[in-house]
Amino acid sequence: MTPDPTPGTTRSLGQLIDRLHQLPGIGPKSAQRIAYYIAHVPDDEARALADAIVAVKDMILFCDECRNLTDASPCAICANPQRNRDQICVVEESRDLVALERTRVYRGMYHVLHGTLSPLNGVGPEDIHLPQLFARLQDQDSPLQELIVATNPTLEGDATADFIYRRLAGSGIRITRLALGLPVGGSLEFADETTLSRALAGRNQLE
Amino acid sequence: MTQPRTYRAVGLTLRKSPAGEADLIASLYSREHGKLDVLARGARRLTSKLMGHFEPLTLVRLSIARGRTLDIVAEAEVVNAFPDVKADYASVARGLHVAELIDGFSASSASNPQVLDLALQTLDAIGKQSPAATDDHSPDLPLRYFDLQLLQLSGFLPELYQCVECGDGLEPERHRFAAGAGGALCADCITPPEIVVRPLSLPALKVLRLLHRTESVDRLPQLNMPATVQREVHGILSETLQYWLDRQLRAQSFLDAAKLA
Repeated sequence: MTPDPTPGTTRSLGQLIDRLHQLPGIGPKSAQRIAYYIAHVPDDEARALADAIVAVKDMILFCDECRNLTDASPCAICANPQRNRDQICVVEESRDLVALERTRVYRGMYHVLHGTLSPLNGVGPEDIHLPQLFARLQDQDSPLQELIVATNPTLEGDATADFIYRRLAGSGIRITRLALGLPVGGSLEFADETTLSRALAGRNQLE
Repeated sequence: MTQPRTYRAVGLTLRKSPAGEADLIASLYSREHGKLDVLARGARRLTSKLMGHFEPLTLVRLSIARGRTLDIVAEAEVVNAFPDVKADYASVARGLHVAELIDGFSASSASNPQVLDLALQTLDAIGKQSPAATDDHSPDLPLRYFDLQLLQLSGFLPELYQCVECGDGLEPERHRFAAGAGGALCADCITPPEIVVRPLSLPALKVLRLLHRTESVDRLPQLNMPATVQREVHGILSETLQYWLDRQLRAQSFLDAAKLA
């Protein structure tokens, strides 16, 4: 049953506020502000927003190779012959892939897991795109040179990295993890002991 | 008398969840105030001074300011991050089993320092285990010790020495177990049909009594328990914990699935 609209709003506005409130990071006040903004914009702008939401749901699919979200499979990265197929970088989410692409440093391939192992939330290896990663590695035409595990340095991200490492140990693939340590602009004084000890372990020689 | 605007606490992070653009809400079990939910403003920003302090299974010392809805972290310092527990995914799952149960069995503002001490000792024991520990050396014995001791500290210890129905002492090989009845039963007592009764072997009863009597997790002997007894003890304790929590144990299910994989 649709709940009664907020006093002073109409049923349609109330429904829009409810829907917006379900989006991540949108509280009730923000939902109300956005809903009133949409009510005031010209018709074509509001329809363009609605069409964009529908188009995403109609067109987006997983790339058969890397599991990234794409309009066509294989995605632009997997279809690009200039990319280095000897390296695969494993990321948690598509937005992590976007962040790494923004660096313009990495020219290899990707694999998007769409989550991490999370014992408290009941997320196991079969619930994320890990089986597809292992199948992909088996089906490679030439042996992979390096698998870069770029999961977040959180409890769940580290557990996922460890799971991948143990599963592929002995396969001959070089498995690496992104360097862990102090962020640019950070302060040593406030760093936690785990970050500091990892920064010490991964220190580099000045050249 | 008005409360001071800030207070201090030392607590183990049980879980965290994102809030707003870059904040997070951490749930901790503290020595001074029991279970606490606190807001760490900006803690998800890469350059935040609070970043990295609220990973689950981290013991932190906090200075906290009282807020309108949630209290807000003013300062944080890591006391013990338990790096050995976080070294492999099976140990992580074992550690999260500890966090899950403390979260389930504790109430807000009800402090029991013995619960925190038990959790910290168990995490230490998990960290000391080699990832390659085999079933022969009962790698989950510290967890079973934690299960039973937490039940005791929470007031839900199952009866292990006499029949919960008639009160008579248990005779060897003539006992059963029912979490819903409150513990071990003799062979003669009849329970209501809605109560699930399972067999309880003598070796499993002895292990449960040993776990009950042992003073601390460090003093647990090295037991070469047969896999069948390990499974039976695990089953009895899981059933009891799930009976009182009224839900499945997620981290333990994950660990069981990982062992089979």
